[in-house]
Amino acid sequence: MKKKVLSAMLVAAMTASVLAGCGNQGGGDASDNSNNSTPNTQTPAQTGDDTQTGGDDANAGAADPIANLIAATEGPVSLDLWCSETAAYQEVMAKIVDNFKAAYPDVEFNITIGAQSEAEAKDRVLEDVTAAADVYVFADDQLVELVNAGALQPVQATYTYNPSEVNAAGAVDASTVNGQLYAYPLTASNGYFLYYDSNIFTEEDVQTWDGIIAKANEAGVQCGIEATSGWYLYSWFAGAGCSLTLNEDGTNTCDWNSDAGVAVAEALAKMYADPAFINLTDVDYSAQLTEGDTKVRAYVDGTWRSGDIEKVFGDGYAATKLPTFTVNGEQVQQRSYAGYKLVGVNAYSENVGWSMLLAEFISNEESQLAIFEATGEGPANTNAAASDAVAASPAISALLAQAPYADLQRVGGKYWDPAATLGKNLAEGTITDFKAAMDEAVAGINAPTE
Amino acid sequence: MKKPVRIVLRHVVLFLLAVFWLIPVIWLVATSFSAHKGMATNSFFPTNWSIDNYAQLFARPDTVCNFPAWFKNSMIIGVACCIISTIFVLMVAYAMSCMRFKARKPLMSFAIILGMFPGVLSMIAVYFVLREIGLTDSMFGLILIYSAGSGMGYLICKGFFDTIPISLRESARLEGASEFTIFTRIVIPLSKPIIVYTVINSFLSPWMDFVMARLMIKSKNPADWTVAIGLFNMLQKTLVSEYFSVFCAGGVIVAIPISILFVIMQKFYVEGITGGAVKG
Amino acid sequence: MKNFFNGLKNYFAEFGTAVAKGDIWTRMSLLILGMGYFGRGQIIKGILVTLVEVAVILFTAMFSAPYLAKLGTLGTVQREEVFDPLTMTKTVNDYDNSLLILLFSVVGLLVLFAFLLIYISNIKRVYEIQKLKENGKHIESFAEEVKALFNERFHITLLTLPSLGVIVFTVVPLLFMICVAFTNYDANHQPPTYLFTWVGLQNFRNLFTNNMTVSFGYAFIRILIWTLIWAVLATFTTYIGGILLAKFINNEHTKGKKVWRALFVITIAIPQFVTLLLINKMFSDNGIINGLANQWGLVSWLKDAGIIASGANGIPFLSQPGWAHVMIVIINIWIGVPYQMLIATGILMNIPNDQLESAKIDGATEFQIFWKITMPYMLFITGPSLITSIVSNINNFNVIYLLTNGYTTPNPTLANSQAKEIDLLVTWLFTLTNDYSNFKMASVIGICVFIVCAAITLIGFTNLIKGDREEDFQ
Repeated sequence: MKKKVLSAMLVAAMTASVLAGCGNQGGGDASDNSNNSTPNTQTPAQTGDDTQTGGDDANAGAADPIANLIAATEGPVSLDLWCSETAAYQEVMAKIVDNFKAAYPDVEFNITIGAQSEAEAKDRVLEDVTAAADVYVFADDQLVELVNAGALQPVQATYTYNPSEVNAAGAVDASTVNGQLYAYPLTASNGYFLYYDSNIFTEEDVQTWDGIIAKANEAGVQCGIEATSGWYLYSWFAGAGCSLTLNEDGTNTCDWNSDAGVAVAEALAKMYADPAFINLTDVDYSAQLTEGDTKVRAYVDGTWRSGDIEKVFGDGYAATKLPTFTVNGEQVQQRSYAGYKLVGVNAYSENVGWSMLLAEFISNEESQLAIFEATGEGPANTNAAASDAVAASPAISALLAQAPYADLQRVGGKYWDPAATLGKNLAEGTITDFKAAMDEAVAGINAPTE
Repeated sequence: MKKPVRIVLRHVVLFLLAVFWLIPVIWLVATSFSAHKGMATNSFFPTNWSIDNYAQLFARPDTVCNFPAWFKNSMIIGVACCIISTIFVLMVAYAMSCMRFKARKPLMSFAIILGMFPGVLSMIAVYFVLREIGLTDSMFGLILIYSAGSGMGYLICKGFFDTIPISLRESARLEGASEFTIFTRIVIPLSKPIIVYTVINSFLSPWMDFVMARLMIKSKNPADWTVAIGLFNMLQKTLVSEYFSVFCAGGVIVAIPISILFVIMQKFYVEGITGGAVKG
Repeated sequence: MKNFFNGLKNYFAEFGTAVAKGDIWTRMSLLILGMGYFGRGQIIKGILVTLVEVAVILFTAMFSAPYLAKLGTLGTVQREEVFDPLTMTKTVNDYDNSLLILLFSVVGLLVLFAFLLIYISNIKRVYEIQKLKENGKHIESFAEEVKALFNERFHITLLTLPSLGVIVFTVVPLLFMICVAFTNYDANHQPPTYLFTWVGLQNFRNLFTNNMTVSFGYAFIRILIWTLIWAVLATFTTYIGGILLAKFINNEHTKGKKVWRALFVITIAIPQFVTLLLINKMFSDNGIINGLANQWGLVSWLKDAGIIASGANGIPFLSQPGWAHVMIVIINIWIGVPYQMLIATGILMNIPNDQLESAKIDGATEFQIFWKITMPYMLFITGPSLITSIVSNINNFNVIYLLTNGYTTPNPTLANSQAKEIDLLVTWLFTLTNDYSNFKMASVIGICVFIVCAAITLIGFTNLIKGDREEDFQ
């Protein structure tokens, strides 16, 4: 391993110095091109002071790392890219990759785009990191585990733009562990909010769940949110001020068995006892939607479902932040998880340099806009998010309205199963002793990872 | 007077049973002709019929569905596996049934013991073995995995060989035939049913397996998948609403050749398994 | 057991004799394997055997020795990398990979073990030849030995390749996973970035501890009990169902036997994972069956009757314990009966007719004939395969995994161990490795599955197969 890397570096250094001697023509052209396509070119944001590579850089003489890299590249560069399996994503990614190739015309690329659901990226990557893609898109909740497994190349330097500056602060936080940026924000779309049919519900109704449920009963329709998923369940408890945080060792600290938490559980069970308020999974809802009709006219979901819902709700299609709900007679704002899709570079990639450039390219402003146009998923880039097209989307406005009440998703793996079970029991109304149920769930959530 | 009633009743019961067994099959076929791509939840038969799902399977490969490539891959794996596995099984069964040597009993016990460990457990280790040989992501690697251990499944075939009269082999031996000749000229020609049984079983197993295949095939390019991985993939959360009826169409297409194989070979299949099961 | 130790004793005794009484050539074979053959003029065989020795020595020295040296610690050097932002390349230290160390140590040790066996039998063989020579008997030429591989030693030819396949793709992985049960290989110690190491019996202790946070023991007992119930139910329901169906179809009064049989066989032809996933969708809380039940008012009727929870979305066919257990068994009957029907059809045709005739003359009812003649005959013939199918049902991964995709347990204690009521030991094991990278506990569970299967097989075979009837049949 070591030998291979060293010899590669040696070759790199030699070719670089030779080319530098020849006037650096090829390198210059290419970096110009890259400048055209991505105007934010800058020198590395953070230089690793402790990096000792034997003074090869001095020989290379070129200060522009991209030119160095192009000069050092021989033969075709093979890169694997994993992104979402949906047709829309695959198509737009293929276009972006073509643009990337065009931006570096002097280098021959062999980029294969693989279909891998970003929700499961972590599981597939960790099966065998060395065989996983060089660049992969994943959901931000997997970041900590990926970092802990050493599967992500830290973003120690940036070349064409600085992700920390151009993306929304939340997205940057979501890509950062212990102050180190580990991934490039791609979309700010993985959060959830309320879709509703404005022909049935008024804007006032959707301020509170009480209002929604009352109106739904009146109109003979239903409303709902998935209960058997820790992802959604969090929103209720966090709303009432309970906390769930991740510790250094991968375990959780959760205080949902406090009085406030038990009160939330009771409130939630009471809501689900109403036949108009149902527990429905996103997949099942989408099955109803694609069939063309549904009784569920107010539902908590994310931007990925906007197209389907718009088709069914028609001119009544509307979206807003999550409503408030009643705990101990008081109205409490429901919070949510802010979700992001991130682009990561595999720490075991054989072409770290090109992988980083590809990751930067995929996640730059232009690409984020292209992805929004193709998939309806909101960009993480602040400029892109401010564009007219994005602002006109009700789903994204709703997501933005929810943003002040959205938290970063930092949870250890032990959270999900106990939370799903808790949610299921609450929704089905099988719990009688709420304090005991919450104690049990919290014990599971806080369990050591051993 | 009682008889005709009972005979009618018998056919009614059979009919009801058959309906019970065929409901999922009918739903599979019906849904595969649905114009609606997602899963129907309100009506058993589709409201609009279409053959578009089949057209999509064969004529419009996209980034999710590349059925022709899957079918080709599975076919190659299936055929290769069934050749290798059948040869392996016959070889082991002959050695265990017709020959006597010191290590025979220990080997047979060893095979039984090995069979008791759950295969799921060692999958990840199999993957790393394959990776070190450099055969992940290749058809050849999968063929190797499916057929390498096939010798362990020799029991039914051995049971069948046990029923071949020993006198046949004895007389051949007296005439100076070697074991090789007895194996190829006497035992094999008598074993048509068990060969059919083994061929069908070893052809089918690669079509059914997705857990192992998904671990071994790291490529996320649909063209590299097998039918099982591809069809399983279509039921992912994000895809099921767009591909459920295409999945059904795929299931139907896969079932057609196998059904034909079964109906034609049924007689041999039954003979093979019963001949073998006599000794188990 | 006694036989086994006697055999072992003889094995080494023969080796001792060979060394003690061997002449110079035989003893030189202790060092260079081929010498004994060279001394008797078997040049080609001598060269081949010596080549094997050289190959093993080279393999061990060049390939497995570095791994074997680290087997005690499973590696000490953790991966470190340094990224150079200017050249956009990175340097990585020469790190240890615990997984590869363990895997290749297993391979290396197996090779050495195999060589030891070859070594001992080689000395014995050389000594045999020495004695042949002393007694002035004919020593086989190389051509004759090759010929023997197709005659009296044909089993060696037959078994070499299949055994090799089993060793590489079954034995090596198994030994590796058994070793993992004694290490701390889990999400926090994942190679290649991190190292794992030996922890002795700690994982086995964890399995049987029971407190609020580690509930593995609780989950293990629950799942074990369900696994056993499932294995027995699944085996016998399909077995008896298959026989009854075969009887029913094969009755003399049934018209169109072939058509009926074909109707049931169609279900075999659709790949199992397709039917299972399909049925999973059919019976899901918002699936077609519940959709229809809703239209017909069945769901609200059941809710009013208090049979299903008022908050449930539909009939919880595959989403509540109890319901799901029954459904799984029924669906397994659906899958397994056609197979058993085919097998039973074949065997029923072979029932000696005279027995049936005489029973009929004695005035036995059909029911009596079935229980007194048909069933005992079937059991006699298929008894051993019943035990094998119980074992394979214990390991029946597909049915449970595919049917209960998306099941959430209502039992919080089980949830805390990532288990579900309807899990078998193998599906639990799969969840632990696949979703939680908890390889160490998965291996412990795997070993337990083996112990359960071994116990069942042992009890079953001693009671069902009395003596070795192998020869009687031939």
